[in-house]
Amino acid sequence: MRYDAFMSLISLKFAIFLILLLLVYYKVPKGHQWKILLSGSLLFYVLSTPLYFPFIAISIVSTWALMKNPKKSHFILTILINLGLLIFFRYSVYIGIHDLIVPLGISFYTFMTIGYAHDCYGKKIQPCDNLLHYALFISYFPQITQGPIGTYQNMMEQLKSAHDFDMTNLKEGGYRVIKGLFKKMVIAGRLTYYVDTVFTNPQNENGLTLIIGVFFYAIELYADFSGYMDIACGVSQMFGIKLAENFIRPYFSRNIQEYWRRWHITLNEWFKEHLMMPAVTSGWNRKAAKILGKIFKKAKKGNLRTVCPLVLVWIITGIWHGAEDVYIGWGVYFAIIMLFSVCMMGPMKKVRAAIHWNDENPFIIIFQTLRTFFIVLMGEVMFRAHSMTDAFAIYKNIFTNTRINGATIAAALTPFGNGNQALASVLILFVLIGGLFVVELLKEKNADAFQKHRYLYAGAMIVFTILFGVLGQSNFMYQAF
Amino acid sequence: MSAVKKIILTICIALLASAAAVACKNVFSCRIPIHNRGIDAVTKAGDLRVLFIGSSTFRSNLDIDLLDEAFDDKAYILAYGGNQYVACDIQYDELKNRGAGPVDLLVLEFDPLLLTEEVKLSDSRVIWDLSWDGKKQLWEKMADSGNADFPLFFEYFVSAGMDDLITYPVTEPFYATRYNKGAKTGVTPSSGMEYLESEPFDISNVQIVDAQKEALLDLIAKCEADHQNYVLLESPHYHRLQEDPVYMKYHEQFAAIMKEKNVPCIFAEDTDFNNADAAFFEDMGHMSTEGRRVYTQELIPLLSGRD
Repeated sequence: MRYDAFMSLISLKFAIFLILLLLVYYKVPKGHQWKILLSGSLLFYVLSTPLYFPFIAISIVSTWALMKNPKKSHFILTILINLGLLIFFRYSVYIGIHDLIVPLGISFYTFMTIGYAHDCYGKKIQPCDNLLHYALFISYFPQITQGPIGTYQNMMEQLKSAHDFDMTNLKEGGYRVIKGLFKKMVIAGRLTYYVDTVFTNPQNENGLTLIIGVFFYAIELYADFSGYMDIACGVSQMFGIKLAENFIRPYFSRNIQEYWRRWHITLNEWFKEHLMMPAVTSGWNRKAAKILGKIFKKAKKGNLRTVCPLVLVWIITGIWHGAEDVYIGWGVYFAIIMLFSVCMMGPMKKVRAAIHWNDENPFIIIFQTLRTFFIVLMGEVMFRAHSMTDAFAIYKNIFTNTRINGATIAAALTPFGNGNQALASVLILFVLIGGLFVVELLKEKNADAFQKHRYLYAGAMIVFTILFGVLGQSNFMYQAF
Repeated sequence: MSAVKKIILTICIALLASAAAVACKNVFSCRIPIHNRGIDAVTKAGDLRVLFIGSSTFRSNLDIDLLDEAFDDKAYILAYGGNQYVACDIQYDELKNRGAGPVDLLVLEFDPLLLTEEVKLSDSRVIWDLSWDGKKQLWEKMADSGNADFPLFFEYFVSAGMDDLITYPVTEPFYATRYNKGAKTGVTPSSGMEYLESEPFDISNVQIVDAQKEALLDLIAKCEADHQNYVLLESPHYHRLQEDPVYMKYHEQFAAIMKEKNVPCIFAEDTDFNNADAAFFEDMGHMSTEGRRVYTQELIPLLSGRD
């Protein structure tokens, strides 16, 4: 059983909470601002899942106390406590305990505590000398639910510092909140019904319907997750605190490595920093690379040393999302794709040189972007399917049962609702997705696009959210993880 | 202008623009011309020999060409997806109040399963077609049934039908080709025996909803008071549903009430229509083109003497 959002970031309760907190935050003497943030964050947590507050408290206090003296045994104990709690709550369902509500944000704050402990242990940072400062770093309310996974280096100074009221922060933060609400309530909210319908019984759907369903899911996931990030970053900016960005228009990536540098950035950075890099330099990996070297004699040493860590990281990433076969399959899929990509880098470089491949040719850019998007879509089939059987049924129907004719088009329209609304829904979605694509494309070409006329865009997004938004979907997709 | 003023102005303009769009939808949507279906189209159709009011079952199961042939081009179907009795009751009033011509025979849908539906908005076209007063009445009925929370309120008065309204110039010409006098015009193939024999449905836990029962009885009482000639019509379902014990229980229960009140009824079994023939059905309740044709032929003699 998952956490039930009491104070969803898109609820009226949260809006009231935010306004009150902002008023107090800028009213109190500057030296006390961080205490207001801490009180607000703890209140947010207690109001959301009161029974589970002790677990985040255990995590905060134990990590802070142990890492004051960051020796190896303390580091290992910190990992055991935090991972133990995470594994217990996240995976107890697989051993038959079904009635647990997963504490709010446990995955995300566990990553932050482990990251902090690792950085302390590796002497990258000085341990935090104030428990309450550390508690604020871990429990800071805009990021507790589903990230971004902040680093101590980036966050602590900002959280502790005094912040003058800055109209620009309020304006920019508000703009991002509006943008996030629009993405979540209008785009993701409207796609949910279609996606849910298609993935409920994919065996019965034709290929065209499934292609649309998978495409819509990719958009829904992006709009939902990046919409949440916009709201979280916007809210934080109102307090003068800049959170790390989690998305940089990932669907415009030209290869899969680039995609993972632009999608859920803080999670991937975390895995790279705290799992991949230690694994690459570890003794066991050197031994494994030697064994692989005997089998693949022509392979480069550097490539061989990334094989095991890559596979490990991707399988753990999959398992982190859930212990179901689909998530493990998804992890393995991306491990294979990444390995293939790493291995092909050298030969492809030679081929490109031989055929005078021009990376700036618009057709090549489009081809590479579409290819990467296709690879991502194929992976997301597993990510969304209820089981591997369903995922294989989707692949099978897409590749063997896709025909475009009157009957398949009519069937593909069915999940939009009954015949009375289907066409109107399709048109509205077409405009919304097209609009999102154009906006992202223009920003891809010029990151400063849409800086002018922000009031106009904000006004238009408010109107669209009111008239076309879907209410009643208070949960975000990544909250489940 | 200061940033604070700009922010307040932006929010105010956005809210005003939204409010204007919402007000337009709620007050004027019923006046937007829809030529071949809905309440407005019925009021403009003039005198009718037969008018059907019901759900998508009527829309799918009645062949309008055959009806027009039998009733001098004076047949019409007023149908919405899952059209509930609470909504039918209000639609009847709207037709009267908005000047619909006399109707020789009003055919109301009789379906025990419609009596078990929670009071809700079954089709956004219902809102589109109702006047402001009608919309308010329907909302009050939903609220009285305890099915009115804020998200539903928002959907009902703000977002429902907005897609249709905004895309009206593009979508209406397309929809116009798909309906004729409220009936479906497209070809509907049968879904086949295998599908129909395995399509899951579960009505084991359905219960009669008082508000729906009261609305049906109220509608009948209104017809009686208005001396409106009427009949209740049960359109045949595919045999698996028609013979389901729960369906039969409610069917018999209400047939008995109707008999007691001397309400004229045409039940599924009153025709020779073979509801076990898979070629006649698209799903449990909706017919294929062939089924619609055969059933309408069977039905016309039963209606002809009544108008």
